[in-house]
Formats: sequence, structure tokens, C-alpha cells
Amino acid sequence: MNGLRGLFDNLKNNESLSAFKPAIEAVDNIFFGPEEVTTSAPHIVDKNDTKRYMTMVILALLPSTFAAIYFYGWRALSIILVSYMAGGITEVLFAMIRKHDIHEGFLVTGLIFPLVLPPTIPLWMVAVGSFFGVFFGKEVFGGTGRNVFNPAIVGRVFLSIAFPVTMSTKWAKPVTEGLGRLFNYAIPADAITSATPLAVLKTGGVEALTKSTSYSELLFGAVGGSMGETFRIGIILGGIFLIITKIINWRIPVAYIGSVFVLSAIGNQFLPQVAPPMYQILTGGLLFGAFFMATDPVTSPFTKSGMWIFGIFAGLLTLLFRTFGGYVEGVMFSILLANSITPLIDSVILNAKFKPRNDGVVYNEN
Amino acid sequence: MKVKNNSFSGGYVFNLEGKPQDKVVELEIPSQVCIPLKQGFGQVVEPTVEPGEEVKAGQIIGKSDNSESTPVQASVNGTVKEVTSKAIIIEADGTSDWQPVEGHGSDWTSMSAEKIEELLYNSGVTSLDNQGIPTRYQSSSISTDDVKHVIIKGVESDPYNLSLSALLQDGKLSQFADGLKILHKILPQAKVHVAINKNRQNLIKELSNLVGSNNWVQLYSVEPKYPQGSDKVLIPTILGKEYTVGGSATKLGVIVFKMQTILHAYDAVVEGKPLIERLVSLSGEGWKENLHVKVRVGTPVEAITNKCLNNGNYRIVSGNILADQAVTSYKYPVTREFDNLSAVPEGEGREVFAFVRPGAKRASYSNAFLSALFSNLSSNCDTNVHGEERPCISCGYCEQACPVDIFPHLVEQYTAKSNVDDELIRYGIFDCVECNLCTFVCPSKRPLGKHIKQGKQFLMNKGYAVK
Repeated sequence: MNGLRGLFDNLKNNESLSAFKPAIEAVDNIFFGPEEVTTSAPHIVDKNDTKRYMTMVILALLPSTFAAIYFYGWRALSIILVSYMAGGITEVLFAMIRKHDIHEGFLVTGLIFPLVLPPTIPLWMVAVGSFFGVFFGKEVFGGTGRNVFNPAIVGRVFLSIAFPVTMSTKWAKPVTEGLGRLFNYAIPADAITSATPLAVLKTGGVEALTKSTSYSELLFGAVGGSMGETFRIGIILGGIFLIITKIINWRIPVAYIGSVFVLSAIGNQFLPQVAPPMYQILTGGLLFGAFFMATDPVTSPFTKSGMWIFGIFAGLLTLLFRTFGGYVEGVMFSILLANSITPLIDSVILNAKFKPRNDGVVYNEN
Repeated sequence: MKVKNNSFSGGYVFNLEGKPQDKVVELEIPSQVCIPLKQGFGQVVEPTVEPGEEVKAGQIIGKSDNSESTPVQASVNGTVKEVTSKAIIIEADGTSDWQPVEGHGSDWTSMSAEKIEELLYNSGVTSLDNQGIPTRYQSSSISTDDVKHVIIKGVESDPYNLSLSALLQDGKLSQFADGLKILHKILPQAKVHVAINKNRQNLIKELSNLVGSNNWVQLYSVEPKYPQGSDKVLIPTILGKEYTVGGSATKLGVIVFKMQTILHAYDAVVEGKPLIERLVSLSGEGWKENLHVKVRVGTPVEAITNKCLNNGNYRIVSGNILADQAVTSYKYPVTREFDNLSAVPEGEGREVFAFVRPGAKRASYSNAFLSALFSNLSSNCDTNVHGEERPCISCGYCEQACPVDIFPHLVEQYTAKSNVDDELIRYGIFDCVECNLCTFVCPSKRPLGKHIKQGKQFLMNKGYAVK
């Protein structure tokens, strides 16, 4: 370890590498914690930091990641690596140009983005989407903490609109017995299909959906869909892990999933094309979106009542898009639209909570 | 007596390693003491002794009858070495006896209120705590008639506290109960509220047996959540939301005392003991043994550190390690307000893979470490920053932890860029009690407490003042 410490110190002090300092420091900070101490009160601080915060989210995503590799082969890992590299290079370039540290938010974006893509997607498309998401979803707004939209969703929506055929018809049947596709790299061409449960619902109606898939198939991922959204039991466990460790707030997933459940129960009574509640929440990217994408702390409201409004709004939009829209899946667009009204929700709630006060503080002209 | 149970929203319960044990050790008389002329509540007093004069422990060496102040006593027998406008230095002769205050006696039940006030004033006890003890000698900013509520706090909510069982061992609980009755004699119209850590149910029961029959006392069992012990948070918790403290609690007719103050009051009235000695807890991992020491006022901190501190790099903090300043020079004397000295290890090393450690002994506001599963294990602390400063991600920890329901990250967003105007008053910037809990919990390591304080200072410079 002393050798490593010496190597990093040499690299940091090297004049000709000074442009690359953010990248060198980022790698250094992965191996070694900081050496600074507090200068004044408070003299101790919490041991949790943003690196551990993001690590917890990655831990919660690991069941979905391993499921993606199991169902779709090792190509899933290549897709994840390409996503990290393309977005990572963008992040490093921005850090070098703006002369600040590389921020850890990308660790999560780089893993969420590939998990919402179809498993047959070409690698160059992953790179373009990842770059677009980081650049136009985060960096142009000013970087971490200032973005309005979730970068992974921006990348995904861009790919859906720019390459509609690849993104909506090239799904694959997962292999769920034995060792799955752990010994395969790519998906054979004859396994490519365009049928996911939501597509069956759109073309054949509720009857076709309930006849063709069961709850356990949906929960354990024996159906088509994007790479990370099918192993739903893993998503639920990961989401509960994040709520217990207080990384995400429980209000947004409960509001989102709850409102979809309630509204589809009502809708199912009146409209024949609305799927019943249990099917509604177990199909598509709803669970993944509710636990990992809608709960992004920067793009979701920070007020407690605001979180409920956000979740219910996103749930309503999801149902509207799924039932009446042209696309089979509505989660991505509804989270994007809900992100756009987050600042409005927060400012309305703050105005209601903090009334102008004339008690307690006086103004002296002297 | 029925014991009430109140709390506030937010806060965090600390469970740190190095809590002081119940052992009490008397520290030997130092060779030289430095008595500051301003200790506790009150203005600087005029010295009444000259260099070269012989003084006895307990003798008044500084007094100003015309200002809001309390006399200062010599804490050791010896000769005055130097007199400055700020402090008096005395060379001690090593003897440990002290000169009692005149007029004391165990018949305090028959003493008049004026006699008790005189005893408390001459012994120096009236200078203790944030507003002092009111007497007719102008020892406090509030007069005895205006006091409506007295709160005695034994909440033990700070990261490191003086242990109540060490303070009240050897029969001192009955002395404390008598001290409450003595206080009632000089403030007969005030209602007394005693708030005790709810984990000390035995203590609460014993105290309830001793004072329960009096209708002017009410006991409260409170959760030791930081910052419950802070005056501005304790007063609304005990007395209700109408008692929100603006500038000073005395404007609401409320005074807050610590439990050690009441014991000092009993000692002054019954045994005539002047305020020459304090019980100080040595907490934190830096001390050889975590115990309590009886220290003479004016003892330099180095007399304690030379005897009790481990070898190594430690930061000594007097009081609360989240809100109070560090002791920068060990020559600084122990004054009347000291009740805790924490020795926190300086965490200057670079830890390998710091962010992926399972952390059974690392406590955190988020439950992101194994320590969340083992809540009875106490955790380590050091002064390392544990992370680089990052932009705010609105994670919400600071607003969940804040005891006064403001949004620290919102206020800090403006004050960090010096974009301060009176709109921030609406968002509660003046409600902040400067507990620094927001800075403690922030994962992006933003200096929230510092920026909010700067914003308050900026507004006060512009002319805003808290009523």
C-alpha cells in the first residue's frame, strides 16, 4: 500500500499531468480515504460519504445485474462496460475542463442506464445513448446537483426516439433453467422476439395477457423485457434494502406503485383495455423505475408532501401512456415529465409551509 | 408523581465509545492557577487583591457590585502572583482546605430568601449557566420576580456527557432534592421542571419519591436525542410550542440550569462551600481512563492532560464536540462552566478503501454500515472529514435531522454563494440553534452550519435583530 501511496503522490505532483489531475485524484480517492481533518465545530462528522451512498445503490442493483447476465449472456456485461466507458469519458472530460473533482453520481447512472435497454442492442448505440444522457441530461445543466432530468432516462428516451425499431421490437426470450446463458456470450438470432407482456397487452387485450403469463413468471423474470427490469423479486429486495439504509425515501416508491395499483383497479372496472392492478405493477419497467429512477435525490422533490404529489403524478401518467399511448411502455416518459415539474412542486410546497413572518425578527435602520 | 414524556422532531442519538465511567478522582492541587475575571454569566469583575497578597481558597478576589456580575473566588490557598484586567494568577501552597462562606448552615429551611441569595452570591454560584441564578444582587439578566419557569436539565443528549450517576452518587440525590427546595425559596412563584434522560428510570423514580409531593415540581423523562440538551430546543419541548426562544430565554421568563449547578447551590447554602471546584468528565478515546475528575477552578488543562492523556495526536474539546470550540492551548484554565473535556483522536491517516468497509463500529445517520444492525455496539469517532466536499444532492438528511424544522440545504444554497437577503428569514435562518447536526450528517461534506451562521451574521450586520 505504501508503494501505491507513493505512486499516486508522484502522479499528483507531476507537472505535465496536471490537466489529468481530476482523473488521478478520482482513482486515488477510491483506494485511499481523505487525510483532511475538520478545522472547527463540528469536530466529528458522519462516516458516510457520497462514494458509499452510490455504492449502496450499486449493491441494490446487483441482483438485477446478475440476473441480466444469467438470462442474456455475458454480452450484458459488455453493454454495462461500454456504458460506463462512454459516459465516464464524458464525465472525465468535463471535470478536466471545469477543473473540479469527478463526482460519484455517475457510478449509479452508468449502471442504471444499460439495465433499461433491450439485450439485443448494438454496443455503439449504448455508447451514443450513454454519452447523450450524461452530456445533455446532466452536464449542460451545470453538473451534479443541478440537473432537472435523470440522465439515465434522458439517454433512454433519446434512444427510443432516435432508433425506434431496435428499441421496441428486438427483445429476447430469456433462458431460465439450469445455468441460463452463463456459458453464452450473445443471444442466438432465433431467440429474438418482439413480444413482451406489455406488447401482448397492447395487441391482444387483457385476456391475452392473463392467459399467457403468470405472476411467478413475471416475478422471476421468465418473460421478455429490458435487461434489468425482468428479475422483479431482485428489484423489490434491492428497493427495500435502499429504504432500510435510508438511501432513498420510502414515499416515492409507495406513492408511485400505490397510485398505479389504485388507479388501475378503478380503471379496470370501467375500461376493458386497462390491465388489472397486480399485472399492472408486475409488468414493464414500473418496479425498476419506481425504486431506482424516480427516487434519484437530485431530480425528485425534497419536501415530504412533494414526494407524494410526484409519485401520484408519475403513476397517473404511466397508466395514461400505457393505456392510451402508442408506445407499449409509459414509465420512462412519465418519470421524465414528473422530473420536469419537480422544481414547481417544491416551490409550491415551500411557499405553503413557510409563510412570511413578522414575529421574532426586527429590522433596525441604524 | 406522573412523569411526562416529550420530544422534538429530528435529532440523532449518539452512542460513542469512550463514555465516562462513574469513577470520581480528585486531582491534586496544581502549583499555579489562573482565575479568569469573567466566568459564567456576567461582566468582567474588578480585582480586589494585589500581587503578593496571601489568599485563602474561597476568598473573594474579584467583585463588581454595580454591574451584572457575580464575585470570583480564589480556588486555592496561596499567594497572588499577578493581576491583569482579565485574570488573576495565584501560586498555590498545596494545602487543600477552604474558607467557608459566612452564614451557611444546615437549617436552610428556616433561612430567609435574602440570606440564601447572599450565600449564593458570595459563593459565586450565581454565575453558573447561560443566564446565571437571579438574586437581588443583579447576578442575572432577569430579576427574581419575573421568573415563571425553571428548567433543570439532565438530558445527557450530547455525544459525550457528564454522567448523572457519577454526579449523583453517594447520596447526592437527596442533596439535589434539597437544592431544588432551596431554589424554590428564592423563586417561590416559579414552576420547576426537571428533565432527565429517559434511560435513567431508577434515578427518575428515586427523585420522584423525594420531591413528588411538591406541586411546584414536574419531572420529565426525555429521550437523549441530540440536541435535546440545547436550551432553545429543550424549552419548547418541555413547555410547549408557544415558548419558542428568540434572542434570550429570559424574555419568556424561563431559566435553564444544569444539575451540577443545583448541587453547587446546596453546597454553598448548607456547607458554605464556595465555587472553587468542578466535576469534569474525561470522555473520548484519547484519555488513559474515562472517568470524572474533581478539579479546582483555574487549573490549567495541561495539569489534566499531563496526567491522563494518552500519547498521540488528540483534539481536546471543552463541552459539546459538535458545537463548541477546541481547546487550542493546554495552558488554558478550567473555568466554572467546564463539565466535559473530550479527547478526540485526530484522524490524519489515509484509510485504505475507506468507503467500502463494512463498519460494525462506524455509526452513521444513514444505516449504510453494519453498525445499524448492532445498535448496542458503541462506535468510534475521529476528526477526519471522511469524504470530499461535493455539490448538494438534496438527499434530505439535513432536513430530517434538523431540530427546528428548517431546510438547511435550502438556506445553505444561498448563503454559500453569499446570495443573502431577507427572504431567508422566511425560511427560518434565525431559528437555527447552531447545533451543527446538519453538517454532521451531510454525505457531501458541505459546511452547512458554517454557511448558515455566516448568513445570519450577514443579516445581523445589515440591521436585522432577533427580538
